[in-house]
Amino acid sequence: MRNMTRQNRNRLLSVIGLLAGLVLWEVIGRLELSPAFPPFSAVLAAVVEVWSSPRFLEALKESLISIAIALPPSIVLGVAIGLLIGRYRRVEWALDPLINTFLSLPLVALIPVLFLIFGLGRGSILATIVIYTFFIVVVNTAAGVKTTDPEIVEMARSFGAGEAHVMNRVILPSALPLTFAGIRIATGRAIRAVIIAEQVIGLIGLGGLVQRLGGAFAVEQLYAVVLFVGLFGLVSMEAVAIAERKALPWIIAQEETEPAFQGA
Amino acid sequence: MIEIREIGRQFNTRDGGTFEALKDVSFSVKDKEFFSIIGPSGCGKTTLLKMVAGLVRPTSGQIVIDGSPVSGPGNDRAMVFQHFVLLPWADILTNVGFGLEMRGLSRRESREAARPFLDRVGLTGFAEHYPHELSGGMQQRVGLARALAVSPDILLMDEPFGALDAQTRQLMQEDLMRIWDVEQKTVIFVTHSMDEAAYLSDRVLVMDTHPGKVREVLDVPLPRPRDEAVRTTPVFNELTSHMWHELRGMIGDPTAPAPE
Ligand SMILES: Nc1ncnc2c1ncn2[C@@H]1O[C@H](COP(=O)(O)OP(=O)(O)OP(=O)(O)O)[C@@H](O)[C@H]1O
Ligand SMILES: [Mg+2]
Repeated sequence: MRNMTRQNRNRLLSVIGLLAGLVLWEVIGRLELSPAFPPFSAVLAAVVEVWSSPRFLEALKESLISIAIALPPSIVLGVAIGLLIGRYRRVEWALDPLINTFLSLPLVALIPVLFLIFGLGRGSILATIVIYTFFIVVVNTAAGVKTTDPEIVEMARSFGAGEAHVMNRVILPSALPLTFAGIRIATGRAIRAVIIAEQVIGLIGLGGLVQRLGGAFAVEQLYAVVLFVGLFGLVSMEAVAIAERKALPWIIAQEETEPAFQGA
Repeated sequence: MIEIREIGRQFNTRDGGTFEALKDVSFSVKDKEFFSIIGPSGCGKTTLLKMVAGLVRPTSGQIVIDGSPVSGPGNDRAMVFQHFVLLPWADILTNVGFGLEMRGLSRRESREAARPFLDRVGLTGFAEHYPHELSGGMQQRVGLARALAVSPDILLMDEPFGALDAQTRQLMQEDLMRIWDVEQKTVIFVTHSMDEAAYLSDRVLVMDTHPGKVREVLDVPLPRPRDEAVRTTPVFNELTSHMWHELRGMIGDPTAPAPE
């Protein structure tokens, strides 16, 4: 009970902090110091206008389609490769350097290369989402495999389990908490990736919209879109966290699993 | 019959040498016999049991069960582990059925087939619970039920009650006796407890260490069925003090107080 009230008090503090920030924003905005800094009320008005405009909804649809096409296969393939890397030394030795390289690269620098390969269209957007998400799922899944209790593997063997059974019924469930942590991060990164790639093209999707609004100095509308993207990222990652808690009832009691690798 | 024939096992050490864990171990276990193995820590009891289970290969010698040499895990054997080794992500019924699942039954079939074994170990109401919701004693009942569910002829138990408190341990010993009286299986039971070995067994193998080898095999001339009263009989006390005498010499501390 005591903890609950403390938690509530902390929540209250967060809300107060947020409100104070918004008030400060409003006040400074009204000083009209810079066109890049409109008052909060103006952005709010733009949110109401922009979030329901056909142009925005069309862009949102485009971005969601790209994510829906690229993210699921990236996750599935990432989990599969991650399982193999975590389980088999040889696969680990073969692929580890490659994957670590990709994880430490500044991916933004690779986007022009992707456009060179896949052209100025959806192909490049999909490829960007994949390179932003695939490797993070791979390393987190592989790290999850390493948390497998070797005694459970031995127990399964003692009951006659073959490699397929060990993989499906022991390794995969052991790896799931970290795999989900990887998927959570990948979801956030997929949203970032789609915006970045669409900005390069400048015509389609929310990234295109951001690009065009920026070019037209429509600052309030720009902020309205950026705000949406931020909130959308938060909500998506929270949705994955909820799915995680549903899928992993045995770790509900424990803290949410911290990812093994967040990536750059 | 299980025949252990001149078994030896060496392990590679970090410095590139070899370590002899077991040397020239020979004994045999009769059908339906309750056979215990006792010995100092590190003498190779677990290694020996895993060899019978087919999980570890001997570097020399052979294990023969009913005439055929052991080359891997088999349907005739099932193991109960010291630290229970349950699946934390699966409920109790799935855990009990896990052995059956590994032997090719579907998840649903194995869960269905597991139910009577849950009853047998007294956990009827816990089918949908998760392992972390159960006490240590209950978790080990799940481990026992999982092994019984595959209907093995041979039950291999590696210090199954070693992680339990004294009272739970005693209750589990009585339950195991009851189950064994009905099931009539061959049991190889590794333990650190002389009291436990004497109470449960038909015969007790006392092992020597560095390297692990057979010291002696003791008969337990106590009538069955046994109950708590046997623990106070002269035969029982003579047996445990004999074991203590043997083991104390190996551990190398003549002043150490007798455990338990
Ligand atoms: N995989 C392995 N690699 C190297 N050495 C091992 C391995 N397994 C066992 N050993 C060694 O072999 C010896 C016997 O081990 P084992 O676990 O069989 O002993 P134990 O009698 O079961 O001991 P305890 O009573 O403590 O459980 C020990 O010295 C151990 O360090
Ligand atoms: Mg042991």
